[in-house]
Amino acid sequence: MSCIYGLTLRGIDALPVEVEVCLTGGLFSISIVGLADTAIKESRERVRISLGTLGIKLKGHISVNLAPADLPKEGALLDLPIAVGIAKEVGFIPEGVNGIFMGELALDGRLRKVRGGVPAAFLARQLGLPLFVPRGNVADVSMVQGVEAYGCSNIGELFCHLRGEKTLQKLDFTLPQAKEIAVEPDFADIKGQAAAKRGLEIAAAGHHNVFLVGAPGSGKTMLAKALRGILPPLSDDELIEAMRIRSARGLPLETDRFRPFRSVHHTSSAVAICGGGIDLKPGELSLAHRGVLFLDEITEFRRDVIEALRQPLEDGCITVSRASGSATYPASVLLIAACNPCPCGYLGDTVKECTCSPGDIDRYFKKLSGPILDRIDLHLQIPRLTPEELLELDSDAENSSAIRYRVMRARSIQLERWRHFGIKCNAELTERIMKKYLGLSKDGRAFLKSIGASLRLTGRGLSRVLKVARTIADLAGDKAVKDSHLAEALAYRGGFSFER
Amino acid sequence: MKDIKEKTKKDLGNWGEDLASLVLSNMGYKILMRNVTFKRGELDIVAIDDDELVVIEVRVRTNGKVQSPIESVGPRKIKALICSGRLLIEQLGWEGPWRIDILGITLDASNADGYDLEYVKDVTLGMI
Repeated sequence: MSCIYGLTLRGIDALPVEVEVCLTGGLFSISIVGLADTAIKESRERVRISLGTLGIKLKGHISVNLAPADLPKEGALLDLPIAVGIAKEVGFIPEGVNGIFMGELALDGRLRKVRGGVPAAFLARQLGLPLFVPRGNVADVSMVQGVEAYGCSNIGELFCHLRGEKTLQKLDFTLPQAKEIAVEPDFADIKGQAAAKRGLEIAAAGHHNVFLVGAPGSGKTMLAKALRGILPPLSDDELIEAMRIRSARGLPLETDRFRPFRSVHHTSSAVAICGGGIDLKPGELSLAHRGVLFLDEITEFRRDVIEALRQPLEDGCITVSRASGSATYPASVLLIAACNPCPCGYLGDTVKECTCSPGDIDRYFKKLSGPILDRIDLHLQIPRLTPEELLELDSDAENSSAIRYRVMRARSIQLERWRHFGIKCNAELTERIMKKYLGLSKDGRAFLKSIGASLRLTGRGLSRVLKVARTIADLAGDKAVKDSHLAEALAYRGGFSFER
Repeated sequence: MKDIKEKTKKDLGNWGEDLASLVLSNMGYKILMRNVTFKRGELDIVAIDDDELVVIEVRVRTNGKVQSPIESVGPRKIKALICSGRLLIEQLGWEGPWRIDILGITLDASNADGYDLEYVKDVTLGMI
């Protein structure tokens, strides 16, 4: 009997699978046991034919056991370990060979790219075994440090290496470097909207949630998309966290270190956004980890979908539990929600009159419960510019890269200050750290007391105001939080006032 | 041997079974019966190996054909062999173990006298 390691994915983790192969007499047949899905059962043909291309003629009854037996295994990535296990059992490769193998086989022996390169590399590092992957997975595997990994384009090349005839090149640890790419649209392309731009700059600097409300065509979506261009690039740790999730979902890797920007349509289900399904897939919230989740027309989403965001917005992670098990995924996102001020869209508009009844407007905003609005720090009103303003105004506005520079400077101040706590931005501050380190002056305290009471701030609301104020101070480069910073932070929480 | 290739399929089969009996006897098997017919099909050779009753299916192929003689035995044929085998041991009142073997003979096209033998024991792996 021969034994070799493969793996199967569960959420964003790779779990080791021992592939045991035993050859007995009788007619030729391959049977695979161990809760394998259809893709694995079908691998018999791929394995038989691709081993045949190397001149290995299989005889007798081959039993393949995938252990642990009670763990459901899925995906074609077990093709390669099965083929290697069989080759080891028939003596084509030496008995001492061990390692973790992953890859899908083509009939001519080529190796096809599979999903889950980053989790596989973490598993290999944990087990201390060499990892063999298809050439197509080299980019994601080499993102993990301290792994002995090899990429091979076909099974013949791999077997030559295992037999010691020709050695494969060990993969080097490489991370993609940040690139300066112009993001469309640029902030310079957006006319007017100075207040909204300032709000988005604060959001980007401290990773605070934003709510944009404005008439149709006022530029909400454009502003939200432009935010991507002013976010700081992903740090090494953040890049790995984000890539692990992308790799497990089989999405192409971003090579430019831009933060993820996930724009979700309002017909999406709660499972699509939060994650789930039989195989506990991570959802859009996790795919937007360390980046932006954009919910355009948030009032059109199903209510349960919006409410499902409550806990992850607060904790920065989400635990998905189903009958088949449970998994926790990181979900630290910057939420941007956008909607109109009323169903017809023109409430408070300077040009067009609103046709909604007060009841309509009430019903429209009932979708957004108090708890959700309480978790959004910056409420920005987007006024519509008149055609004259749009045509007359010169676009001498600041461009994205200038704003990005300020944002990055504010982030580095935060990173330096909270380094000992493992906190990356102000939005992640915990209650205890805030109490200790966000000292307010006496005047500031009195000011917050009076305004907080009139705004009816909740406990969470208060602490969020303090976090935003801290970010505003960081943008200004001030050590202490001043009253003016507090006042600005409070203004973003004031809610909306639209007049007919 | 030379004229084998001109013979009919049936003759080829009979020639193969004769050869097989000879080979098996040399291996120490005791040949009990040949060509026992049942409803699901015929058992080519029935022999005794030590204390085990063996049902042997003989397959003859000329070289150059795509399949090897062993591969030409499909699941349907094996089912038929198991079925007939069961009837046989009931008829004989056999109480010991029994198994099904396949003997493949490949005729060499280039060399008139040459042939290859391939013997697979216990094709059902004890699951009868």
